[in-house]
Amino acid sequence: MRQKIEGVDFAVDEHIWGHRLHDAQLPHLTVLEFLGVLGSNFDTPLIASPSEQVSYRPQRQMRLRGLLFNNPYVESVRERQLPDEDKWKEWKSRFSPDALEFEESDMEALRRTFLSFDDFAKAIELLRSSAFEARSNKRWSSKFVFPFGPDALYEDLRVAGGKASNDRLFFARTGELLYLMLCRAAKGPELGEKLIGRLFNSSAPMNRLVRALQGKPQLSDAKDVGYLPFASHSRYDRLCEDWLAILSRDMPIYDALEHLIISAGLNMLLYFLERAKAQAGDAEPVELVCEIVSRERTKVRALSGDSYQANQSLSLRAVRAAVEQIRLDDEWSKAAETEYPEGERLALMRGRFQWPPTDPDDETDYEKMTGDELVRMLADKAETRHEGHFGKIHAAWSRAIGLSSRRLSRRNRYAPNDRLLKTLVVSIVEERMQFDEFLHEVKARYGMVIGDAEGAHLVSAKQVDQDALSDNRGNLEARLVGLGLVRRLSDSCSFVENPFVSKGEA
Amino acid sequence: MPSEQSNNIDPAVPPSSAWVRFLRSYGPTPNDLTLFDEYVAGALGRAKVQPITLKSPLLEKMREMALSGAPGSILIAGTAGDGKTYHCRSLWAALGGNPRDWLVSAPVKTLVMADGRTAVFVKDLSAVSDERKSDEILDLLERSVLGEENSQFLIVAANHGQILERLRNLGLRQGRVHPLRKPLQDSFLLAGSAPERLAIFDLSRTARRHSLDEVLSAVAGHPEWDSCKRCLLRSPERMCSIYENRERLLGASDGGRFARRLGDLVEVARLNGWHLPVRDLLALTSNMILGHRDAREGLLSCAEVAKIQESGKAESGSLYDNVFGVNLPRKRANDHQVFRALASFGIGDETSNGADGLLVYGFDDTKLSDAFARLVKADPAYGATPSYLAAQLRYLEGEEAARVDGGAAEFLARLESQRRRLFFTLPDDESDYPFWGMTAFRFAGDYLEMSAALVDRKPINETVRARMVRGLNRVMTGLLIENNDRIFVGSSGGFTQSRISVLCDTEAPARRTGGVGMSIKLDALTERPALDVALAQGEGGSAIFNLSPVRFEFLCRVAEGSLPGSFSNECLEDLLAFKAKLLRKAELIRLARSSQDEDEPSEDKGALTLNFIEIEQNGHGFSRPVTVRVGS
Repeated sequence: MRQKIEGVDFAVDEHIWGHRLHDAQLPHLTVLEFLGVLGSNFDTPLIASPSEQVSYRPQRQMRLRGLLFNNPYVESVRERQLPDEDKWKEWKSRFSPDALEFEESDMEALRRTFLSFDDFAKAIELLRSSAFEARSNKRWSSKFVFPFGPDALYEDLRVAGGKASNDRLFFARTGELLYLMLCRAAKGPELGEKLIGRLFNSSAPMNRLVRALQGKPQLSDAKDVGYLPFASHSRYDRLCEDWLAILSRDMPIYDALEHLIISAGLNMLLYFLERAKAQAGDAEPVELVCEIVSRERTKVRALSGDSYQANQSLSLRAVRAAVEQIRLDDEWSKAAETEYPEGERLALMRGRFQWPPTDPDDETDYEKMTGDELVRMLADKAETRHEGHFGKIHAAWSRAIGLSSRRLSRRNRYAPNDRLLKTLVVSIVEERMQFDEFLHEVKARYGMVIGDAEGAHLVSAKQVDQDALSDNRGNLEARLVGLGLVRRLSDSCSFVENPFVSKGEA
Repeated sequence: MPSEQSNNIDPAVPPSSAWVRFLRSYGPTPNDLTLFDEYVAGALGRAKVQPITLKSPLLEKMREMALSGAPGSILIAGTAGDGKTYHCRSLWAALGGNPRDWLVSAPVKTLVMADGRTAVFVKDLSAVSDERKSDEILDLLERSVLGEENSQFLIVAANHGQILERLRNLGLRQGRVHPLRKPLQDSFLLAGSAPERLAIFDLSRTARRHSLDEVLSAVAGHPEWDSCKRCLLRSPERMCSIYENRERLLGASDGGRFARRLGDLVEVARLNGWHLPVRDLLALTSNMILGHRDAREGLLSCAEVAKIQESGKAESGSLYDNVFGVNLPRKRANDHQVFRALASFGIGDETSNGADGLLVYGFDDTKLSDAFARLVKADPAYGATPSYLAAQLRYLEGEEAARVDGGAAEFLARLESQRRRLFFTLPDDESDYPFWGMTAFRFAGDYLEMSAALVDRKPINETVRARMVRGLNRVMTGLLIENNDRIFVGSSGGFTQSRISVLCDTEAPARRTGGVGMSIKLDALTERPALDVALAQGEGGSAIFNLSPVRFEFLCRVAEGSLPGSFSNECLEDLLAFKAKLLRKAELIRLARSSQDEDEPSEDKGALTLNFIEIEQNGHGFSRPVTVRVGS
């Protein structure tokens, strides 16, 4: 019997990928939600068996986020030529009316914390400048301060009519699934300990500043995390290994965070594609043919566009297959031999997909439909729903991590940007690595095809000529030289170097 | 003997013809075969001239090593054109091998030494295509270097990538990481030393100023040039660009300035990571002497000189253009590292208002006429030639032809050519027209001076140090600050990549005192200056930034007001990585301190200080602490 998913009309995507991945929850929001779960499970970080129900109690930090993102008055007040005392008064009179859960005592605490209003304003400005999407036009309750430490974490909220509630717009459980994935990776506990050690340092200066604004944490209600179908998956392990590698590099933790986010995005995108392929019965590994953009137009562009299109269509195929595959089951054919075959099949459908509903709110009489009709109907419904959010994941995430782009072209294609390339080097290269080996590794880990050796099968299938791929390879080398990540020993020999290794730098 | 023949004076055949033809075959012709050791002997025989001989200090060391009887093998590494085959062949002869045996085209040859050991020569590993044979060679290498094999040893020539690739391959097939791969790689990259029983002679590392000097003197000082004295194509009225260029290379008239400047370029290119093999230096030298835009394949032979002289275009053979391969089709020049490396200086395109003013208006402008006479007119061969002055006049008078699109092209091309000449001919102390100003590396002179001071353990010029610190501060903070007495390690609170950092995470004095602060020292391995910034005493408290000429240029230009992203993104990335390292050091130091203080109640528990960087009116930055009272 499959696990029942709450709050859905039917369960199809949920059993392919989990409940749930969401296109609007971009990788940085995924990691923020993840950190919330991690912080709440501080004593057992990333330790939970697949059968265990993980739960957590996120922070809400209404005071902090209100001061940072629902407080447009602070600059204008600071600029006025007023005595300090009057500035505080002036600001309070403007801020207090819309401030949520902000009381007189909080005001007093703020005044005790900062020596002057100007200092207070400066601190607010500093925290805003490092926030994610600080200048976006998102609602204030969906803006996030940089995760400096445990006090800087809080959940996404909807605020209306003076009340805050979860609408799961940007925290749609993708971070919860990330938490489960890492729990189920072989080295999960090791990673959990490292993350707690480095990111949850409550005495880090910026965390202390955040705490000074927030005061005591404000907590939300306890929640159970979503559902992730597989107890183990090679992608979970890859993700975990990559994160461990990034954390072992000699760089400030706040810089490492950027790589963690991109790495999570890339690996979860590959999880999404790999699961789609597996569900549709396609045994070939996922492949991303990447164009390395250079000054000259290359023939790889068309190919990487095709590769993008092919991958874009994978998930929809998987959804239809997931529904239709029920007809291949033994039980489905055995139902033909029973007294009420269509009734049996309806029961089978309900058991597998939580559909059709037992008390339909429309006029449809499911009981009268044949099994095949039900399958067709659900497949159509599932496809329509899939196109709403799940189906947009590939496009949204690949753009967010800098994997895909429409630069110099009208079509989307894989054309990795500098930040993604940097993350690849930081996660893959221990100290230095021959360039060819690096290309091989990028293909083996992430399916990314860049050079002629990795794309040999494309050449023999006449999809592209070898020169085009080897130029592509050359372009990558030149790009990495420009990023200070490749050193050429001679024309025939170059090395990818990770600038953040602690050994041998002296 | 060869010159005897040319004594039969035949006015149609200039006396140095054979020699020039031989030298021409070294140049960047479409099939510059002579430059492969394998072809030299044949070419010499045909030309009947004395060979161009270069000293090879490494050869003597190789011979000593082989004769010493010390166990282990010899690896001659280098890129194409470094002289691997030449060294291998010479070593074979020096150890008593028969030169004739060498000509047999087998890639592997053995020689029994006087001490009874067998030397196995592999003159080119990439020529060994048989996998089994290649495995045998690598196996012998491993046994003689890491094992106990003392009766045989290997002398193998290979390029870097080739041998690493073969070791990786072999390792993969054997299901192990080949034990020699990492040590070799580290040794090539100057990140570690070779195993004790392996002598690595990396020919690619020897290319530097003195190898250029040697090639110049071997070619320009070659005895065959004596024949030119009898040549009728050379007289005070008739300029032969071949002879003129050769004279200028020898440097009798300018005190060797040309060779010195070229040496500077080679040195700066080397420190920027360019590798210039001897084969390229020979091609460059041949091209400098023989190059001419109108000659066949861009390189003159004696037979063409008369024709060129009659057409009045001898000046198009200017060695100042030839240095950069202007006489060659672009693609052919780009096939050679040396021309790509020299092109990176942008000489000809780069200029200053002063220098262009001199070249354009100098002839008429009375304020400039002195300098013009001294710096341009004084060179009748390649400077203010009559045709240059005529082109200048046409340009200035604005004849109709000069006003249409592209009409000024002729003069502009000449202008580029004159800028190149100026780089090589401006006197060292010409303060109005600094010669480095004619290049993309305006501060390269300071760079070389600083390196020399470090080598001699002399103090560094204070202006230069201050400028570097200012550049460093501007990149670190993203603010236009002027400070040069201390270094601000800025932070935005979040990502290091943020271009502007308003917080001062840590600061350090710009001069090392008491184990803290910045010191400038010479990095022994790369031979470059390096900035060593220590945030705390002792090991682990400092991070090092290796200063290549281009990074130095970047810092200096930023200090003078350029935007960091506009000069070189690569340098900016390098510096941001360095900043991230410093921030990480600071993080570790703080952690270590707080764990030491654990037992004592620390006074800052209740207060947090944020150091904001603020700028005074005069551009001086200072850190202003903002105190935040935080409850515990």
